[in-house]
Amino acid sequence: MHATTLRTRLRAAFAVSGATLLAGLVLAVLPASADPGKPVPPADNVLRASGSPFSQIKTLTRTFVNDDGTTLEFPANTVTVNASQTKDLRGRQRILIDWTGAQPSGGRASNPYGENGLQQEYPVVILQCRGTDDTALPVEQQVRPETCWTGSVAQRSQITRSEGEASWIHDAVAAPADKERVSGMIPFPGKDVCPTADAEGLWTHLTPFVAASGKVYAACDGQNMPPEAAVGAAFPPAEIAAYSDENGEGSVQFEVRSDVENESLGCNHKVACTIEVIPINGISCDQPTSPQTVSDAACRKGGRFPAGSSNFANDGADQAVAPALWWSASNWANRIAIPITFGLPPDTCDVLDPRPPTGFYGSELMAQAALQWAPAYCLNKKRFKFQLNQMSDAAGWNLMESGGGPAAFVSSAHKRRGSDPVGYAPTAVTGFAIGYNVDLPDNNGEFADLRLNPRLVAKLLTQSYLGSDLGRGHPGIETNPLGIMTDPEFIALNPGLSQNAQEAGAALLSLSHESDVIEQLTDWIVHDHDAMDFVNGKADPWGMKVNPSYKKIKLPRSEWPLLDTYIPQTQNSCRQANPDVYFSQLAAPVTTLRKVSDALLDAWPNVQTRCDADLATQSYKLGRIDRQPYGSRFMLGVVSLGDAARFGIRTAALQTKKGTFVAPDEDSLAAAVELMEPQQSSGAGNGSKGDGGKGEGGKGDGGKGGNRADLARVVEEVLAKPQSGGDVDLSHVGKPFVLDQGDVRRSRTAYPGTMVVYTAAKLQNLAQDDADKVAQFIRTATTEGQKEGAGNGQLPAGFVPLTAKGSTAALYASAQEVADAVEAQTSKPTESPSPSATANPTLPPGDGGIELPDAPPVDLPSEAPSAVPSASPTTAPEPLAMPQTEAVSSELGDRAVPVLLVLGLIGLALTSLVRYFTRGAQGPPR
Amino acid sequence: MTATLPDRDADVASPPAPEPNPAPAARPTRAPEPRLPRRGDDLWTVVSTTGTMVAIVCLWVVGQMLFLSSFSQARSQDLLYDEFRTAIAGDPNIVPPIGPTVPVGDPVALLTIPRIGVSQVVVEGTASGDTLAGPGHLRKTVLPGQAGTSVVVGRSATYGAPFRDLGDLRPGDDLSVVMAQGEVDFKVVNVRRAGDPYSQPLPAGGARLVLVTAEGSGPLASLTPGSVVYVDADAPKGFIPPSGLPATVPEPEQVMHSDHGALPLLALHLALLLAVILGVVAARQRWSAPLVWILTTPIAVALAWSTTDVVMRLLPNVV
Repeated sequence: MHATTLRTRLRAAFAVSGATLLAGLVLAVLPASADPGKPVPPADNVLRASGSPFSQIKTLTRTFVNDDGTTLEFPANTVTVNASQTKDLRGRQRILIDWTGAQPSGGRASNPYGENGLQQEYPVVILQCRGTDDTALPVEQQVRPETCWTGSVAQRSQITRSEGEASWIHDAVAAPADKERVSGMIPFPGKDVCPTADAEGLWTHLTPFVAASGKVYAACDGQNMPPEAAVGAAFPPAEIAAYSDENGEGSVQFEVRSDVENESLGCNHKVACTIEVIPINGISCDQPTSPQTVSDAACRKGGRFPAGSSNFANDGADQAVAPALWWSASNWANRIAIPITFGLPPDTCDVLDPRPPTGFYGSELMAQAALQWAPAYCLNKKRFKFQLNQMSDAAGWNLMESGGGPAAFVSSAHKRRGSDPVGYAPTAVTGFAIGYNVDLPDNNGEFADLRLNPRLVAKLLTQSYLGSDLGRGHPGIETNPLGIMTDPEFIALNPGLSQNAQEAGAALLSLSHESDVIEQLTDWIVHDHDAMDFVNGKADPWGMKVNPSYKKIKLPRSEWPLLDTYIPQTQNSCRQANPDVYFSQLAAPVTTLRKVSDALLDAWPNVQTRCDADLATQSYKLGRIDRQPYGSRFMLGVVSLGDAARFGIRTAALQTKKGTFVAPDEDSLAAAVELMEPQQSSGAGNGSKGDGGKGEGGKGDGGKGGNRADLARVVEEVLAKPQSGGDVDLSHVGKPFVLDQGDVRRSRTAYPGTMVVYTAAKLQNLAQDDADKVAQFIRTATTEGQKEGAGNGQLPAGFVPLTAKGSTAALYASAQEVADAVEAQTSKPTESPSPSATANPTLPPGDGGIELPDAPPVDLPSEAPSAVPSASPTTAPEPLAMPQTEAVSSELGDRAVPVLLVLGLIGLALTSLVRYFTRGAQGPPR
Repeated sequence: MTATLPDRDADVASPPAPEPNPAPAARPTRAPEPRLPRRGDDLWTVVSTTGTMVAIVCLWVVGQMLFLSSFSQARSQDLLYDEFRTAIAGDPNIVPPIGPTVPVGDPVALLTIPRIGVSQVVVEGTASGDTLAGPGHLRKTVLPGQAGTSVVVGRSATYGAPFRDLGDLRPGDDLSVVMAQGEVDFKVVNVRRAGDPYSQPLPAGGARLVLVTAEGSGPLASLTPGSVVYVDADAPKGFIPPSGLPATVPEPEQVMHSDHGALPLLALHLALLLAVILGVVAARQRWSAPLVWILTTPIAVALAWSTTDVVMRLLPNVV
């Protein structure tokens, strides 16, 4: 998966062999999926867990019983269904389901989800149902149409249909009761419950829904549906009537719902569930009456849309081959059941473990890993109750430094403000990606090969696209494209996409607060000449200019500001009454990466330009625009690789060098890790941010650091050694690694968004029980926690495992080293903190000398007395406090008086001399 | 500076003197002045006048900084002492200064260092303008005498130079602080200069007073206070400080910083000085020299004094 270009060509040329090749590559990369017989998902730029795949083959036949009692059998379709993951799923996770050998679909709907997909022919219906297909189980644990979730009545019940639309009554396989005029529930609900369900001369079939609680919803109208099926429910429908191409192949990313998202469906780690894949193959019909009734004829229909056609107008499809009758006995018998299990819910630890949690504060990149790791800690009484409290890296860092939390998750070096040395233990290799959700034009599915270069990302971040005509008045950039989809540069990179501008195409949904992710993203931009020329005001070759508000913005930066102030002049009364900065409404950054993922998952841009007015009441409704219609989705957002893998979000390949685009996968992440080097100790080891130092010693250090006894000795030695100056601290232990984007550009295979998440903890003055917990966490997370899988304590997809050998060896060794140092808490009475804090160059002059006396009172009061003073002048590296105080003003203080004095005396002398001589020549003055 | 003005007035004003001007006419005795000839030598006049001006300006400033300002500082201390005595006397209508925030310029403690003969009222705030009245307390630290570390910044060369001899202190010397919560006796533990190690950590509940000033080196040491010296004094127990200290102080209040916010005020003072000069020029045409001298000298001196006070704010706060 190195060169995306190569892959594209392969796939375009040989779809099948390309998939095979990629399968080989994936298998080579992922040993966990090393079953060559199992299918491998096609390359769609989605990172996916590889464990617990599923595959099943089933032969489907449609039969008619003729007038004379003979049977007409249609050619059989042998359908193979594969699923990428079936175990330990989490709510909203998307798994890839693909199939071959189905009947080609016709009358393809632009939106196949929920009730929008009903008017199609020969689709593959995929539903999530409660229960399993095991006939040995009690009936309430078995899967039935009544336990399958649909988001609307029309998808499960046929209410008061004319005879021409009642083909189910001739289903050859159906029980006699289902062939009645009204069927589906016994007893049939009365007028009090379902007033419209039973009308004389019309046919009705209900497929009630049985909720997990046992409550039965008659599903005859909107009132008799479970609450999660309400109009405009929180989540868009996940069930789909998917399309098979003319070869009978198709694939879909199916989103599973746990009982957190859908309580009525009620799937969780205890309640087994199934994904039912029902290839609609046409209803088998019983012996017709003679002459044939209208419904007999309806049952025998074979579809009016040719295979591969679209049905944009939503014309009626032939019911016998439409998805609406998925519940009918013929179709239900054709189902392929994929049993799935869910992982522990996110609140497991809170419910099952009464101990107080130990919060680790910081990076959201850890979210998916922490979700799987937490139960492995809290359910083990020998361990502590681990909890990830997500916040910006800087906030987590500050909490850790101030003692508010035992450890922080950060993904870059942070500036030390406190006095204690801090170790960085590499804990996870992951990163960020630019996720997207882009549809191909003309109902051709989703685009899976997006490529972006730094300049395009810079254009998005600097709000240089106009969004819509409202943005055209923006001074300085009137002629810029409306959105990225109309930018010639983007079109050249990603040909074949729709060029209808949408407001969402002017924004890269990103974070509103500080994050190391933004820092690295902007650092990637900094290393590209074209992108920086653009940011600094040079127009691109197509004449697009940077938004003047962001011109020459300082990069890299960890927080992206909203700087634009342009308020459009418009005739729209709603906007006149609610003037706001248009470009900020377009960008509308959010607070967590998870929100970006959710927006991508729902194709719901966070563009806040909606402004509806009700002139009668003079009231306005402002806010987020609607979800994007299926078929014309276009959205970009910054996501974490963990989220992208969990939710099946496609990730863009980023340009490293001209013509080279690298997508995130295990290879490209590992290649980037190999480029990382330990940060050089600068001065007293204060990890000043953005210090792209590179040390050679680090890797060697790491290599031998695995030996704990050795390390302990080294630490002892270092501490005991009487030294002056600031280099006597633990700063050589557990330094962060630095990924230089310049190296990434040179390497061609490394992914620029690769980030290492560190567990940062103080090496001194951390309470011992906290220190033990942190050390235990680092050791567990870097060993047991690096086993790939979806289970408790395992490493989810989107992360590269840290191992003692291979490209991550240095990280692994560094982590063990830090674990030892954290545990040791070598709290000698040395004030090794002081020098580093005072040597910190960014402290304001004159402040450093004062600051320090404040800090010490916290530490080691008992050791202050006399044992120490003798040692302290030598061991305690306390010096260098005052040099700063002399810095700025000392010259003035030093010279002011003498200079004034000298000037005054010179003036006096001059005057006296002049007077003396003039008087001498002239006589007395005055 | 006004001292030269009559000279120049004489030169400038004399040529038009013969004109029918009521004031000169009333004082015919001044008529002889035109006898000072031009001699065609404007250059020397300019040099001489400039030299005089520079000498007066510089020497006045130096003189006030080093000597005259002691008077104003002593007076400020007297007033502050009275104010402080009242403030901590327990009058229910007066809020005693115990922090965490005290109005800038208010007295907060009485600092006594017997060995070097210091007895000063400490004021709140350490900007250059605050330390003119007495040693200033760094606002982000606890008050002197409270548990924790308190920092007091004082001048070493000008305005009474309360901390002139701070560098002579030795570990073991006594000093005491009276503040609103009571009296605390400290012992000096360390005198630090650039490069010296910090003092040992403070035991819990202890109080530390860090006295900060500047000192010079070389033959003109007392006139060149360019580097900072710290004196750490510890007391085993301090009073409990209130919470809510400000985390930072503005830049001018940091040690060795000056207060550039004084520039507008300085401009105003200089404008006033200019106005006085113009006034003198005008007055000289109307009144006799002694009268003008008598009238304008106090104004000019007062103005020069207060201008120098403002100039001081542009110099570092420990000088």
